[in-house]
Amino acid sequence: MAGSAAVLEDSSLLSRLDRALLPVERLCALLSGIAIFSLMFLAAWSVTGRKFFASPMAGYVDYIEAAMPIIAIMGVSYVQRDGTHVRMDMLVSALKGRTLWFFELVSVLLILVLIVALTWGAWEHFARSFDCARPLCSRDSSIDVGIPIWPSKLVVPVAFGVLVLRLILQAWGYGRALILGLENPVAVPLALTVAEQARIEAEALEGSD
Amino acid sequence: MEPIEIGLWVSGGLLVFVVLGMRVAFAAALAGFVGLVWLRWNGFDYDPERFWKAVEISVKIAGLTPHSKVSAQVLSLIPVFIMIGYMAYHAQLTTALFTAAKRWIAWVPGGLAVSTVFATAGFAAVSGASVATAAVFARIAIPEMLKIGYNKQFAAGVVAAGGTLASLIPPSAILVIYAIIVEQDVGKLLLAGFLPGMFSAVVYALLIIGIAVVFKSVGPPVGGFTWRERFASLPPALPILAVVVIIIFFVYNPFGDAWGTPTEGGAIGAFIIFLMALYRGMRWKQLKSALLDTAKLTVMIFSIIWGVLIYVRFLGFAELPEAFADWITGLEMSPMLILICILLAYAVLGMFMDAIGMLLLTLPVVYPAVMALNGGELVSAADSAFGMSGPMCAIWFGILVVKMAEFCLITPPIGLNCFVVAGVRDDLTVQDVFKGVTPFFIADGVTIALLVAFPGIVLFLPSLAG
Amino acid sequence: AATEWNVSVWGKRRAFTEHVEKLAELVAEKTGGEFTMNVSYGGLSKNRENLDGISIGAFEMAQFCAGYHPDKNRVVTVLELPFLGVENLDQEVAVARAVYAHPAAAEEMAQWNAKLLMTSPMPQYNLVGTGEPRDELAEFEGMRVRATGGLGEAFKTVGAVPTSVTATEAYQAMEGGVVDTVAFAQHAHLSFGTINQADWWTANLNPGTVNCPVVVNIDAYESLSDAHREALESSIPEAIDHYLTNYAALLERWDSVLEEKGVQKVEISPEVISEFQAIAGKPNHDAWIAEMEGQGLPGQELYDLVVKTLAEAKGGS
Ligand code: NA
Ligand code: NA
Repeated sequence: MAGSAAVLEDSSLLSRLDRALLPVERLCALLSGIAIFSLMFLAAWSVTGRKFFASPMAGYVDYIEAAMPIIAIMGVSYVQRDGTHVRMDMLVSALKGRTLWFFELVSVLLILVLIVALTWGAWEHFARSFDCARPLCSRDSSIDVGIPIWPSKLVVPVAFGVLVLRLILQAWGYGRALILGLENPVAVPLALTVAEQARIEAEALEGSD
Repeated sequence: MEPIEIGLWVSGGLLVFVVLGMRVAFAAALAGFVGLVWLRWNGFDYDPERFWKAVEISVKIAGLTPHSKVSAQVLSLIPVFIMIGYMAYHAQLTTALFTAAKRWIAWVPGGLAVSTVFATAGFAAVSGASVATAAVFARIAIPEMLKIGYNKQFAAGVVAAGGTLASLIPPSAILVIYAIIVEQDVGKLLLAGFLPGMFSAVVYALLIIGIAVVFKSVGPPVGGFTWRERFASLPPALPILAVVVIIIFFVYNPFGDAWGTPTEGGAIGAFIIFLMALYRGMRWKQLKSALLDTAKLTVMIFSIIWGVLIYVRFLGFAELPEAFADWITGLEMSPMLILICILLAYAVLGMFMDAIGMLLLTLPVVYPAVMALNGGELVSAADSAFGMSGPMCAIWFGILVVKMAEFCLITPPIGLNCFVVAGVRDDLTVQDVFKGVTPFFIADGVTIALLVAFPGIVLFLPSLAG
Repeated sequence: AATEWNVSVWGKRRAFTEHVEKLAELVAEKTGGEFTMNVSYGGLSKNRENLDGISIGAFEMAQFCAGYHPDKNRVVTVLELPFLGVENLDQEVAVARAVYAHPAAAEEMAQWNAKLLMTSPMPQYNLVGTGEPRDELAEFEGMRVRATGGLGEAFKTVGAVPTSVTATEAYQAMEGGVVDTVAFAQHAHLSFGTINQADWWTANLNPGTVNCPVVVNIDAYESLSDAHREALESSIPEAIDHYLTNYAALLERWDSVLEEKGVQKVEISPEVISEFQAIAGKPNHDAWIAEMEGQGLPGQELYDLVVKTLAEAKGGS
C-alpha cells in the first residue's frame, strides 16, 4: 500500500527545497512509526502487569490517547509528498499536460487554504489548553492521571505547519509546470496510472525484504 | 435557507471535489469546513459584517476536530493491525502458510488453487489489509500453479479473490473503522467477521473444486506428500494460530472472562510476530522500513478519518442524517428491498472508489437510515424489520458492507487487487486478471445473498459473546 | 425575534439529561415557540470538548463533567471530593447551587466564555463488579475501577487503579476485564449496561459523586431578549424539579432491577466505611485545599462553603 510514487529531482531551487523538506517529513513519519511500535510494548506491558502481577498500569488509557496524534497526524506531510493520500483518479489519469497541471494546481491551492485554516484552528485548540500561569502550563488535563494535554494538542499545528510548507512547494511545482508547459515537472508526485501505481506498491513490498 | 438544503449542496460539492481527483481526506475536510462557514453565516442572515465571525467559529470547530477525534484509545487498534501485516511478511509467514496448505489440501481437484485460498485465509488472520495479501501471494502462489500447467488467468484470479479475505477475518482495519464510525462494539464486529470470512473461503474453494471437476484442464490434484512432510510444515506456520487464538480470546473467551481488549490482543499478537521476524533475520534496516510503511498507511487512513469527521461535524449541525433516515423510512418499499438497493448502490460506488473512503463518506448518512429501517437503535429482535435487535443489526450491516467493499476490490474498472496482481507479474495484464477473477463474482454474489438470507452466519459468534 | 439554540450533550436520552430536555420544552412553551433548543446527543461535539465548543461559540448550551478535565474547571471539582457526606439529590442541588454562585467559579468559567446555569444532580456513585464481592478495604488493592475525578483519587488512596474508559465503553471494558468494577450512578448502570455484566452492587459505600454542570455561552445569554432570558431563568427550578421526580421514580425501581438481573446487593459494614473514610476523606480534602490555595484559588473558602451549605440543607430537611 505504502510505496513512493515518482517525485523527480534536479538542481533547481525548487527541487533543492523539496529535498531539504523531505528529511524533516521522513523524521515526522518515523516518529509516528516508533510511536506505533511503542504502543505494542505498552499494551504488552500493561496486559502482563495486569494478568500476572495484579498490578495494572495507571494511566494506560491516558498515555495512549496522548500518543494518538503523533501516530495519526505527524506523518501527514510525508504522505502528501509522494501522493499517497487516496483519491479517485479516473478523471485525472485521463488528463495530460497543461490541463492536468491546472487541475492539480487548483486542487493543491484549495488544500492549502484548508490546511492554513486548520493549522490556525488547531493552534487555537492548543492555546486554550496552555496557560503558563499555572502548574505545568496546563489548562486541560487527562482524566485518570491528570497529565497536561497541551503537548499532544501541539502536535497537530506542528504537523500541519510542515504540510503547509509542502503544499506551497507543490503549488509552486504545478504552477511552474502549467506556465512552462512541462512534461515531467520536479518536486510534485507524478500522476501514475493505477497499474503503474500497483506495480510500484508491489515492488516496495518486495524491496523492504 | 434551511440547514438541510445547505447540507445537500455541500454534499453535492464534496462529490464534485472527489470526482475531480482531490485527495479524499482533504475534499471531505474542505466540504465540511465550507459547510460550517455557510451554515453559520446563514444563521447570521448573511450579514457581511459577521462573515469573518462565521469563518472564525468554523475554523475553530474544524481545527479542534483532528486532535479531538484521533485521541481515542480504540483507534489505536488500526496502526497495530497494520503493523502486524508488515511484521508477518518479515517473519516469512506467507511461505510457511502456503507450504502447509499445499501439503495438507492440494490433493483435492484444483488442489493448488484451493490451497492458495486457504493460505490467504490464514494470512488474513495476521493481515489487516487486503491489497498487501494479494501482492504477497501473487509472488508465491502463481508460479507454483503455472509450473503444473494452470491457466494463468485463472491462477491470477484465485490470488486476487483470496486477497479480499483479509478484511473480514480479524484483524481487520476496515471493520475497526466501521465500528468507530457507527459507535458499536469493536470486539463483537471483529468476532462477527470470522465466520463470514471462513465461509467466503469455503465458497471460493467449492467453486474451484467444481470448476476443476468440470474442466479437467484447470488444475490437477497434487498429491504425494507424506504425513511426515505434512507435520513438518506446521511449526513454521504456528505463530498464525497463536495470533488467531490470542485475538479471539482477548475479545471473547468461551471458557470465562475475555482476556482484555481487542487492542491489547492485537498488540500481543504483533509482539509475537515481531519476535518471530527477529528470529527470521529482521534487523534495524528492515524494521525501520516496516515502521515507515506502517506509519504511511496509518497516516493515510487517519487523514481520511479526521477529514471525514470534519464533514460529519458539519452534517451534525445541518441535521442531514436525520432527514435522510426519515426519507428512507418513509419510502413505500419493503425494508429488505431497500437494504438490497443500498447494497447494490455500494457495489456501483465501489467500482470507482477506494473501500475505506467509500465507507467513511457514506456511513454517517446511510447507517442511521438502515438502523431506522430496522426500527431504531434500541429495537428488540421481535419488533424489528430484519428480525434482529438494534446492536445486532449494526453488526450484520457492517459485515455486509465490508464484504461489499471487498467485492469491489476485484471488480472492473478499479479492482485494486487485480491491479496489484498484474503489477507483480510481468506476464499478466490487468485484463487477464479481470478475466480470471470473473468466476469469483458468482462466489461473492452467492456469499452475500446467503449472508443476507441467513444472518445467523454473521451473528452466531457475537451473540455468544453476550 | 426567533432564537434557536444548539445544545450539546452526549450518550442517549436518559435520566441524566431529563432537565435539559425539560428546559427546552418549557422555554419553547413559555415563548410560544419563539425560543427553541435543539438538543444534540454527540452530534455537535465530543463530551470532553464541550467546554471548548462553548468557548468557541460552536453551540450555545452544553453539559460536561468536572472530572473529565480537572484543569479546565478546578473550582467546581470541590463538589467531586470523596466522602463529603451528601445524602440525597436535594442536598446535592443545594451545595452545587452555592458553589456555582461563588465568584471564583463564575470567574473560572468566564475564561471559557461560559456561565453556569444548573447542575445535573447525581446520587452517590456505587460500584458494580464481577466475581466475588469486594467488601473490605484490602480487596480494593490492585482493583481496576472505572472512576473519574475525586472518586478516582479516593480509590487510589486505598490502592485501586482508576481506569477511565468512557462511559460508552464501560460495558465492554468490564466484559474484557480492563476494569473489575465500575462506579456509576444507578441510571448510568442501567443506561450503559454495566448492570448486565455485574455480579454485585455496593448499596451503601457512598464514596461521593461527580459534578456535571450545564453551562451557556455568555455572549448568547447576554444577547437574549429580556422576555427570553426570563423564560430561561424561570424554567430552571421547574426543570430541576422534573429531573428530581424522574430520578426518584428510577431509584424506586432499582431494587427490582437488581433482583431481575440477579445482582447481589452488598452492604458494607460501618467499620469498613469509616476506615475508608478516614483514609480517603479528610486527607484528600486537605490535599485539594492545599493544591487550590497553591494555585491562588480560594480553596479553603470553597470547601467551607460546601460544608456550611450542606449542614444547612441537612438541618432544613
Ligand atoms: Na485480517
Ligand atoms: Na472495483
